[in-house]
Amino acid sequence: MRRTILVAALLLGSSAMLASCDAPKPTAKSAAAVKESEFPDRPLWGDTHLHTANSVDAFGFGVRLGPEEALRFARGEEVTATTGMKAKLSRPLDFLVVTDHAEALGGTKALADSPRLLIRDATMRRWHDMMNEGPAGSQRAMAEILDARGRNAVPEAMLNADGAAKRTKKVWNANVDAVERYNEPGTFTAFHGFEYTLMQGGNNLHRNIIFRDGEDKVRTVVPIDPTYKATPDEIWNYMDAYEKSTGGRVLAIPHNSNLSNGLMFELTQPGGGPMTAAYAKRRARLEPVVEITQIKGDSEAHPFLSPNDEFSGYGMAGWEMNNLLSNQPKVPSMYAGEYVREALKRGLALEAQTGVNPYKFGLIGSTDSHTALATADEDQFFGKHSGTEPSAARTMAPQNLGTRKGRFGWHYLASGYAAVWAKANTRAAIFDAMTRREVYASTGPRMTVRVFGGWDFTADDLKGDWVRAGYARGVPMGGELKPGKGGAPRLLISALKDPEGANLDRVQVVKGWIDKAGKTHEQVFDVAWSGDRKPVAGKLPSVGDTVDVAAATYKNNIGAAALTTVWTDPAFDPAISSFYYLRVLEIPTPSWPAYDAVRYKLKLPPEVRVKSQERAYTSPIWYTPNQNLGKS
Amino acid sequence: MTAWRTRAAALLREPLVHFLVLGALVFVALSGRAPDLGERRIIVDEPVVAGLVNHHVRAFRRPPTAEELDGLISDHVRGEVYYREALRLGLDADDEVVKKRLRNKMLAIAGAEAEAARPSDAELQALLDADPARYAAPPRYRLAQIYLGPDAPALRAAAAAEIGRIPKGARPGITTQPLPLPARFDDASQTDLAEQLGDDFATALARLPLGTWMGPVVSGFGLHLVRIDQRVQPPPPRLADVRQRLENDWRSDAIRNAQDAHLQQLLDSYAVEIKRPS
Repeated sequence: MRRTILVAALLLGSSAMLASCDAPKPTAKSAAAVKESEFPDRPLWGDTHLHTANSVDAFGFGVRLGPEEALRFARGEEVTATTGMKAKLSRPLDFLVVTDHAEALGGTKALADSPRLLIRDATMRRWHDMMNEGPAGSQRAMAEILDARGRNAVPEAMLNADGAAKRTKKVWNANVDAVERYNEPGTFTAFHGFEYTLMQGGNNLHRNIIFRDGEDKVRTVVPIDPTYKATPDEIWNYMDAYEKSTGGRVLAIPHNSNLSNGLMFELTQPGGGPMTAAYAKRRARLEPVVEITQIKGDSEAHPFLSPNDEFSGYGMAGWEMNNLLSNQPKVPSMYAGEYVREALKRGLALEAQTGVNPYKFGLIGSTDSHTALATADEDQFFGKHSGTEPSAARTMAPQNLGTRKGRFGWHYLASGYAAVWAKANTRAAIFDAMTRREVYASTGPRMTVRVFGGWDFTADDLKGDWVRAGYARGVPMGGELKPGKGGAPRLLISALKDPEGANLDRVQVVKGWIDKAGKTHEQVFDVAWSGDRKPVAGKLPSVGDTVDVAAATYKNNIGAAALTTVWTDPAFDPAISSFYYLRVLEIPTPSWPAYDAVRYKLKLPPEVRVKSQERAYTSPIWYTPNQNLGKS
Repeated sequence: MTAWRTRAAALLREPLVHFLVLGALVFVALSGRAPDLGERRIIVDEPVVAGLVNHHVRAFRRPPTAEELDGLISDHVRGEVYYREALRLGLDADDEVVKKRLRNKMLAIAGAEAEAARPSDAELQALLDADPARYAAPPRYRLAQIYLGPDAPALRAAAAAEIGRIPKGARPGITTQPLPLPARFDDASQTDLAEQLGDDFATALARLPLGTWMGPVVSGFGLHLVRIDQRVQPPPPRLADVRQRLENDWRSDAIRNAQDAHLQQLLDSYAVEIKRPS
């Protein structure tokens, strides 16, 4: 016989609570008191895309942690995950945006908590019961709800506008409270934000909305849902109205273009017809950044579009067959509207047609985790949702999001984070860096990557104060390179491995351009690599592979700690528009299923991804010839 | 109010309600349990009806129509009958849904007070005094570093030998490798250095003497020689500077502690026996 004993400190006495009534309001260090550095010193790491129990689906999938726990976890505190495990990030993040789905904000929680008596719709009552049954029932209910949503078959009562609006306001205000409490200018930035979950027949057109402002402004609005048959104009109208009425600033970050079945980066207006300059301009202004990599796959490049790129299609398995809800299969003609590299090229083509480039965006990664835990490292991955928090079963558990076929736990990527070159850790400095696209994406590792575009950089610049030189004589990532006096653009490039991670294999420059006939092209150049490898027939040999899958380990005895170079475009034509971005590859390392296999003594089927070359993608630098400049 | 009473009274005259109540009574009578008149009366009085109306208003943002209210009352009676009968038959036992719901309710009750509570300064000060290091700002450094290359035993030995040879005030003569990080940090916090060079490097700095080249110091990139010119240990944190963090920690602890304490209080009155299968 054993007596269960819980240790609990009695911190809470009733006298203590009474004494505190007129305690002063906590005074946060004001953002104005935070000193900005001359140049951004180091990348700030964060997650712009995180769901908590306030998200309909996250709650349905089981998560019981709210924004407060999400913020505590991101800033490095230990929290108890939904499944009971203690969780702490090995390295804290610098910033976090809690982006719960605006759609029925808190809605599933309300359905689960509401008195059963009042749920008149039989379907909703069944979902209510399933949610209260436990995690398995909750996940089944969620799958059904998502499926119903894709078929526009959600019960009318669940969409009840009045009740939902009131609930949204309440949940939003509580969320604003938590975010304000955890925003510590100079140390940790907590942004106000939400996800606008625009979905056309199961095709993903989701956007994360991020405010630059504090509670005084964001309390004047509430997150909005897409209405039936909405187009992105709806959220842009909301954003414009917010900026007009409050004098604040807000931006939108599209994500999972890979699940949009070709609709995220169209060549036309939404719904057809030639794209107008007004549309292109508005989109470029309000959506300066795109989320290129996350748990539901990576959207950089697809082998169908980039057959000569041996490193395209990262983490594609499971996501390349269908749209988000798997209710519409993909055909190859859709890929071009889904992948970011192609979108950047389409941007040049649309600029040639309309005078404005709608797809002139910077790149970030984020998690889209629905566990309230922003994890993107392979060895500490807490899964997509609480049903895939660490367990022996999760790698092979079916993840069909409501319907039919084909996705399993291992298809989720432990990806990614956003790196921001800001001059201070404040809302204003980070937001402004996003607006000028001085940001990059990582699939998880915290590599430090810089690139400057200019006309007169030389290898000698790398020996001196090259960051100062970069800013003085060039433009950083995200910038626009104005025509120079002559010659070809030179990129001043530096990539440093994650100090707690794997060595680097190579740095690549991805160039895209449009020829005089209006056709777009791309080319990937290996520009810096480890060791004394020599390209064979234009192809750099592989860096090698030290991964011991059975032990889930790798060795840093291949690859390089840092790679730097000054690269000159060998085929530059000053008369045509082009862009350049970096892709930095790590040496191969074990993927999260490999760590799980060791932890839980699993035997994984051969198709499961057990290692990969993680990577960073920088925002592009664009070159626009003089004759085109006037047009935009 | 009077209107509801009239409606409730009207409902109580309804044959359907009679049928349900009588049916329930018969059911109970047949179940062979001793009749308990107190439990056999279902009273739909003003507070009950007001509660039903309130629920409806909260859900649908308008009062129920007369017809809807009849329906609500009728359903309430059914619910009560089934609820009591289910309890009588012990159907609540071993029902995971019931258990989970009740558990959540208990947790919400236990945590609710803490959620709304505000800590006193004395409490926050106590929290701060218990772990000042947690709230202290990190030390700040002015330092110079040179990078020697990836970590290897031979290089470690060479670096250690070099340390003894450097004349005072001179730069080390050992061969260095380029690394795209600043050779000098003028005012960097330990946190910033950990982010850029790794935790091991940042922690090692605390043990190094000032004003002299030391090493090798291991970073995430390899071996370095380091000269610390200034180490600024921030003053112990004051309540006013870290109030926000203290309050956050206090709140997070308070909710959990209130729940734990509540559970402990309940547990104290139970004897828990655990027999594991051998």
